[in-house]
Amino acid sequence: MANIAAQRIKREFKEVIKSEEVAKCAIKVELVSDSYTELKGEIAGPPDTPYEGGNFVLEIKVPETYPFNPPKVRFLTKIWHPNISSVTGAICLDILKDQWAAAMTLRTVLLSLQALLSAAEPDDPQDAVVAKQYKDAPDMFRLTARYWTAAYAGGPYSNPDFDSKIRRLTDMGIESHDARVALSSFNWDLERATEQLFS
Amino acid sequence: MLLDYSLCLIQVIFEVFLPSKIKMSTSLNVFIKSNTGNTLSIELDPKWDVRRLKENVAPKLGLSPVDVKIIFSGKELMDSIVIEECDLGQQSILHAVKIRHVDKQHLRDRTDSEGSRPMNETLVDWQLSAIDRKHLNTEEDREREKAQFFVYCSSPCKTMKPGKLRVRCASCRSGAFTVKCDPECWDDVLHMNKIRGTCENAICVESHKDGSQFAEFFFKCAEHPSQGENDQAVPLDLVKSNIKDVPCLACTEVKNLVLVFPCKEGHVTCLECFQIYCLTRLRDRQFSSHPELGYTLPCPAGCADSLIKEIHHFHLLTDEQYAMYQRFGTEEYVLQAGGVLCPQPGCGMGILAPEDCRRIQCLSGCEFVFCRVCRQGYHLGECSDQDMDTSEEPVNCQYKVDPVHANQARWDEANKITIRITTKPCPKCRTPTERSGGCMHMVCSRPQCGFHWCWICQTEWTRDCMGNHWFG
Ligand SMILES: [Zn+2]
Ligand SMILES: [Zn+2]
Ligand SMILES: [Zn+2]
Ligand SMILES: [Zn+2]
Repeated sequence: MANIAAQRIKREFKEVIKSEEVAKCAIKVELVSDSYTELKGEIAGPPDTPYEGGNFVLEIKVPETYPFNPPKVRFLTKIWHPNISSVTGAICLDILKDQWAAAMTLRTVLLSLQALLSAAEPDDPQDAVVAKQYKDAPDMFRLTARYWTAAYAGGPYSNPDFDSKIRRLTDMGIESHDARVALSSFNWDLERATEQLFS
Repeated sequence: MLLDYSLCLIQVIFEVFLPSKIKMSTSLNVFIKSNTGNTLSIELDPKWDVRRLKENVAPKLGLSPVDVKIIFSGKELMDSIVIEECDLGQQSILHAVKIRHVDKQHLRDRTDSEGSRPMNETLVDWQLSAIDRKHLNTEEDREREKAQFFVYCSSPCKTMKPGKLRVRCASCRSGAFTVKCDPECWDDVLHMNKIRGTCENAICVESHKDGSQFAEFFFKCAEHPSQGENDQAVPLDLVKSNIKDVPCLACTEVKNLVLVFPCKEGHVTCLECFQIYCLTRLRDRQFSSHPELGYTLPCPAGCADSLIKEIHHFHLLTDEQYAMYQRFGTEEYVLQAGGVLCPQPGCGMGILAPEDCRRIQCLSGCEFVFCRVCRQGYHLGECSDQDMDTSEEPVNCQYKVDPVHANQARWDEANKITIRITTKPCPKCRTPTERSGGCMHMVCSRPQCGFHWCWICQTEWTRDCMGNHWFG
């Protein structure tokens, strides 16, 4: 790895560790490799959002050309959000693409992602299915996102109705994650989800 | 071990004795130009003061020492100045001017304080405000406070070197010219008619009786002996010595030499990081093609209106990298002029062919013959993977090959392979675009194109792509 990228990441790493947000447990960053090419980020779901109480783990890959090119970031924790792929965790946030600037840091990236959790941009959706639900059935979206937060990110809210629907499908031999995806995609309509899973 | 030690010792001896020895014993060979058209070549000892120089030179010009003033780089030098303070190099030109009658009336008042210190001594660094200047008190600070310039020396050094600021008359280009005041910023130096002065050249004295000629500034490379009055170098005005200890924006280290971007914030990178920044943008073809400035870059912090105006700054790249810069710049020029790039891997030659000509041959490159529309080998009839109008018979025309494309530097093959794996050409302009992140929504990285396209379909990005395979 280029010296500059490593050196810069080292400093940013320290910056995050010392930051106020870490003190408040809002963001966190850990080394994955000694060479500073890969890091693990964590952001807390912001209050008053369906992500509240959840802890979201991010994969951060630092390119050789950092900081002139953005880090490659994706969600490792599964999340239900219009701007994040529910399948791969990929994020198509502008600052991680063409709006990246060399003055930005790991800290700004983590905080921007946290801001994205507070304010989705449904007009520039990254997951078409989630975005449609966000617009057409906002209440259903909130329940689903909160349910995903509980299932994957350690969120506190349970939903017995959703639980039982998932159990109906797992009883039929479906993996619980696949069941959750199918039900979420069809606004928890058990019949349509079943149809799709067995078609 | 012993060998190592003795090698070290030799090195130390060289380092300790050589440079100082050269300075101590070398006499300076300079030219003295008079305003009567004489040029003398003289050897002088750098320890001489200006009075001693006058005593040496005046008789050779048939003048008495008190009738002569010595002008160098826009300043009349005072008698007490020691030559070595003047930033003179081998073959530098000094001007010996006979004091005019008007001046002579004041001759008896002329004292040693007449004239001034050389410009290199008086010029303070333009990065410093008046307040900053007051705070520099020690000898070391004052040494740092002096303006330092950097130039691109195209010949013979072919690299960035320390530079020297020189002055001449803007109308007759004579160096026998004194400025009324020192320039105070880069604008004063880079733009015409900013600083007034007095020209000693007889023709000029006639046409500007008020003595209000303008100064013209230029730069020389400080490293090689002067090769005459036309030996100039391009100032790299963004390269500065880091007197304010600003950390590099990219690596966050405080380096001695930095590049200060022309944005409002004046963002700073060290020269090493600047090079990496250029290379990164170059490899992704993300330079901007500006109609007046050329192929250039903005501040890496994404500031508005921050394009580098003097493209000689890109000579901070290595020769090989600079060749790539020139090649891509040329290709960008070809594309903007409606030309095409040869699609053959490893070639990429820019070709300017008439608009209506579908059969294109890479004449000055690999000789590949291809179809303008699909960029595949040339074929009759429809392109295999694209709709196109084949109603008109393809005309076999002669091609003009891009004349400016002088440079044959090629991407190294290894690079080419990795690039092919993670990039696909933009369907509109064929610029390789890297797929970063998970989604299939691509935006052409070439700023002039910016086409939105789908990684899978390799056509324009549509709502269908969004619904069907946003994430593959
Ligand atoms: Zn003149
Ligand atoms: Zn740097
Ligand atoms: Zn800037
Ligand atoms: Zn070719």
